[in-house]
Amino acid sequence: MTLLLVGLGFCLLGVLTSALPRTYRVPVTASCAALGCALAFCAAMRVLVTGDTVSFHTTLILPLNGFAMTLDPLGALFIVATALVGFASCVYCIGYVRGELQSRSAMGLFVAFILSLLAVPAASSIATLMLFWELMAVSSMLLIVVEHRHRREARDAALWYGVMTQLGAASILLGLLLLTLRGGGQTFTEIKSHADALSPIVRSSAFMLVLLGFASKAGAVPLHVWLPKAHPEAPSPVSAMMSSSMVAMGVYGIIRVGDDLLHGGTVWWWIAVVALGTLSALYGALHATTSTDIKRLLAYSTIDILGLVLIGVGAAGALRDTGHPAVAQLALMAALLLVVAHAGFKGALFLGAGAVERATGTRDLDQLGGLIHRMPVTTTIFALSACSIMAVPTLSGFSSEWLLLQGLLHGFTDASTPTLIALLVGIVALALTGGLTAVAFVKALGIGFLGQARTLGAVNATEVAPTMQIAMALLGAVSIVLGLVPGLVVPLINRAAQSGLSRSTMSPLARGTGLVLAQLRGAIQPAFLFVGAAAVLVAVWLINRRLVHRSARRVDAWGCGRDVQTARMQYTATSFGEPLQRVFADVLRPQSDVELTHVAESRYYEQSLKYQNQVSDAVEQFGYRPVIDAVLRGGKAARRIQNGSIHRYLAFGFVALLVVLVVLA
Amino acid sequence: MNAATYTGALELAAGAVLVSAVMTLWRRQVRTIVTMLSLQGISLAAVALILAAHEHDGALALTGLLVLIVKGVIVPGLLRRIARLDPRSRETTPLVNVPASLVFAAVLIVLSYVVSARVTSVAPSVATRMVPIGVATVLVGYFMLVTRRRAVSKVVGLILVDNGIALVTFLLTSGVPLIVELGSSLDVLLVVVVLQFLVINMGEQLRRSELDQMKELHD
Amino acid sequence: MTSSFTATLAYSMPASALQIVLVALGGPLLLGLMAKIRARAEGRVGAPISQPLKDIRKLLSKERLHARHASVVLPLAPIVILAATAVAIGIAPLITTHPALGASADILVIVYLLLTGSVAGALAGLDTGTAFGGMGASRAMTIGALAEPALLVAVIALSIQAGTSNLPAIVSSTLAHPNWVSGPSRLLALVALVIVIIAETGRLPVDNPATHLELTMIHEAMILEYAGPELALVTLGGAMRLGLLFSLVANLFFPWGIGSNGSLVGLLVGVLALALKTSVIAVGVSLIEIHSAKLRLFRLPELLAGAFVMSVLAVITGLVTR
Repeated sequence: MTLLLVGLGFCLLGVLTSALPRTYRVPVTASCAALGCALAFCAAMRVLVTGDTVSFHTTLILPLNGFAMTLDPLGALFIVATALVGFASCVYCIGYVRGELQSRSAMGLFVAFILSLLAVPAASSIATLMLFWELMAVSSMLLIVVEHRHRREARDAALWYGVMTQLGAASILLGLLLLTLRGGGQTFTEIKSHADALSPIVRSSAFMLVLLGFASKAGAVPLHVWLPKAHPEAPSPVSAMMSSSMVAMGVYGIIRVGDDLLHGGTVWWWIAVVALGTLSALYGALHATTSTDIKRLLAYSTIDILGLVLIGVGAAGALRDTGHPAVAQLALMAALLLVVAHAGFKGALFLGAGAVERATGTRDLDQLGGLIHRMPVTTTIFALSACSIMAVPTLSGFSSEWLLLQGLLHGFTDASTPTLIALLVGIVALALTGGLTAVAFVKALGIGFLGQARTLGAVNATEVAPTMQIAMALLGAVSIVLGLVPGLVVPLINRAAQSGLSRSTMSPLARGTGLVLAQLRGAIQPAFLFVGAAAVLVAVWLINRRLVHRSARRVDAWGCGRDVQTARMQYTATSFGEPLQRVFADVLRPQSDVELTHVAESRYYEQSLKYQNQVSDAVEQFGYRPVIDAVLRGGKAARRIQNGSIHRYLAFGFVALLVVLVVLA
Repeated sequence: MNAATYTGALELAAGAVLVSAVMTLWRRQVRTIVTMLSLQGISLAAVALILAAHEHDGALALTGLLVLIVKGVIVPGLLRRIARLDPRSRETTPLVNVPASLVFAAVLIVLSYVVSARVTSVAPSVATRMVPIGVATVLVGYFMLVTRRRAVSKVVGLILVDNGIALVTFLLTSGVPLIVELGSSLDVLLVVVVLQFLVINMGEQLRRSELDQMKELHD
Repeated sequence: MTSSFTATLAYSMPASALQIVLVALGGPLLLGLMAKIRARAEGRVGAPISQPLKDIRKLLSKERLHARHASVVLPLAPIVILAATAVAIGIAPLITTHPALGASADILVIVYLLLTGSVAGALAGLDTGTAFGGMGASRAMTIGALAEPALLVAVIALSIQAGTSNLPAIVSSTLAHPNWVSGPSRLLALVALVIVIIAETGRLPVDNPATHLELTMIHEAMILEYAGPELALVTLGGAMRLGLLFSLVANLFFPWGIGSNGSLVGLLVGVLALALKTSVIAVGVSLIEIHSAKLRLFRLPELLAGAFVMSVLAVITGLVTR
């Protein structure tokens, strides 16, 4: 615990050092925060390895019950994931920071944001949790507007985010307060021991309120609208933190309250979680295939992956009391492994996107291309992480998706009908998102990094600073480790899952480097598969050495006999995603516009052709806009009573007083 | 007939009823749809005959034969003739497009399993376990009735509903009285005959048989 | 431990190697067979069945040519396609139920290894920086994205019955329960899988493997810039993919003949049975091809949605009739 506190202390120091003069500010602050992350990582790892729960309590900082922190394996796992990305982001910052993020307040906020993310999973009372939760919300909101002078969209995004996150926080607070009704205190241990005394209605409504808040943080559809706006607008290291750690806090909250504090509750809660997850997975994956802004694409894919995580969490909750404790644990382990894997690859992808933006000045895929020749390191790491998210075997995305499938598949044996349908829907969502994710990331990789450069920005790109490369490589390595030898982390996530379900059963997975189900049939050995692939390659090479030894001659591309192949003739990201956009037009509701101007002399020759295609968020358009419009109309109407006359205002007060008196009498 | 063969055969026949129902949503060619309908009639008859053989019920076997003749041969034959009268025999633009209809059909099938879970749990047997298939056929048929534009497709939807109800009654009560089945089969036949006149008349008046055009007859 | 290790060394690994070699030779032969049947149906004599193999050999001895804007992805992709497909073939239960790494032969592994191959191909198409490469990549990925879920869910229908998603285990338990094969769930899954393999191997009515008409190409557009040895590898990879998918359908729905006891004779019988079964499927698919015209690209979702719904139905009926 001391280690974690010292780590948080270093982060706090980082907040202070952001006041240093410009020359030292960034390296010193970033180093402090990186050190803090490293210490927090060690503290959390120790808890995960030993399985001991440590806690800390003081009445000094907060009034009333004071400040309570407990580090148990469940929270520790989330701290580990956060600390990894936090460390990498800090290292990345040293080479990245320029312009707005360099300012005193921005650096300070960035470190405060990391601090809050490290502290949320360790908070063990309502007051402490809400303190760090609000710190996280406010600091990230301010970080979104850091670049508002260059991008007007940032203001809009911050407004959306601010409103959504505050509504979410209010909902969480209300839900948690409901749990303290029956004489329980506000620390988690007290809530936990009194939870069974509460009436089912109170428990259910508390969970639903909490779920609303946490699910909106996890970007669950239809509470996701802020996410694809906010994540892309923040500076890239911040986006990486938001997309890989902050969304995970939503998942953490659901597990903590639903599984741990309320001991599982009823099946319907978890079916709601699976439904949210399914909706998010499909919606996110679909939108990712049509996005052309690289960071927006990544943000939608975050919604997709978090949807899969929620499916795992929901399945675990639904199965925990059905006589399948091992399968429930399996599903929760899958969700947790996916959280850690996602932190690795999504962090690397966002940092990679930041590197691209830094090098080319744009993040529009339609204006990139050919970066593999100019930024080989960034491209390699981006490709590796993209392969991981596409679930290429022997990478981390695959290991976690396999585990998730096992959790869902083995739950089928004698589950009740509602659970059965939830599991079935989960499997269908898993299958559907697989292909769509592949389309999205082939697009990001193929259009953005391969082919010919489409604009001058892409032509003149150069490789980014070494610290940025190191940071990306660090997160890339997570994909490889979790992919090739997932068995190594199995004991750790097993411990976290056990503490989440507050049970100490046997691990559903056997020991080893791969993932092997202990009681059920099913296994993958990625390391062996990798060796097998290598053996095949060696065999091919032995049979036909000419393939490698003869050098290739460079020629113009053939293109069915087309003489000149310019960069403008290539498929763009828009055209790449168009077939799927057309197939799913009912869901995506794209707005396409073709403007044709003819030459004055003849209608058969066109002078210019303008094509516009926009896919806006249908949920925002049809779910939120009407509400916002109604509120605005209400606001306008209310303005009529405010005409600036002081007499009228005083009269209002007087009338109100009279009304109160009459009512009381 | 031993238990395993009986189970297998019944599952297969009932499954074929459902698959042919889904296929009618999937295919656009009216000819293919009618073929599917006849396949469904035959499978429905097979269900009745298998049940009859299992329970040594002569009346049920007779009902099965009746279903085979009316729904497997006569009705599809008539529909095929009607389809031939119509020059463009394709369901070109259904109100709900085909992939969406298929997905919706899957949802309907899941729904029918949920709603009939209680029925099946009352008297669990091989036959009652298939009840959801009948319910699903009814729902798919109704869905087709609602979303397809062409007159022939609408009648096919109606017959699907009828087949579904018949399947449920076969499975639950081990057979409807012969006279009831006779009546309902004749009803269907009558509908088809009326349709034939309708299509012929519409064909002469409007040269097409989309029911959306019926409004024009008003004037 | 030692005995299982020696069994792996003496039986499973040679068997896996044999599977890879068998499919590497047999896949092109299946292509040749299908071309032959089509030619005969059209009243032509047609090229000999071994023509695809001869083409591959000829291409291997040609010069390597790379498009000017291409990067390292272009030469790397054929190798990735080949390796991913070969590993999938090596671990799948094709001629024996005990291949090397059979414990890892999960549905998800096979499906995602195939997906890895498609991804590599699509990236190579985009790497050339030409209009056709991008077009082929976009279309191939779109079809793949719609076909992959149907494939996965169809096989999951089988795995629910067997209680595991491990393919050798599914095949063995099918051998033990012959009456599963005629169940409605299996038949639905079979229909779905046949549609999916037609889409995944780029046959009519989804894609026309013989076309070089600019706007109708899908797979051919994607690999348009390949020449020489790399084209040979891509073609071989495609043929092996077809061989693997045909063999999987054969063994999942009709596993008899597969070597299950670890003897050499069983292995030989397995080879013969596999050759016979895949040839029958090839004949069936080419009959479908002869009788169908290529569908419009935007009619394809309808076909694949049908396959997907069939496979979901297979899962549901599988769950109900358990």
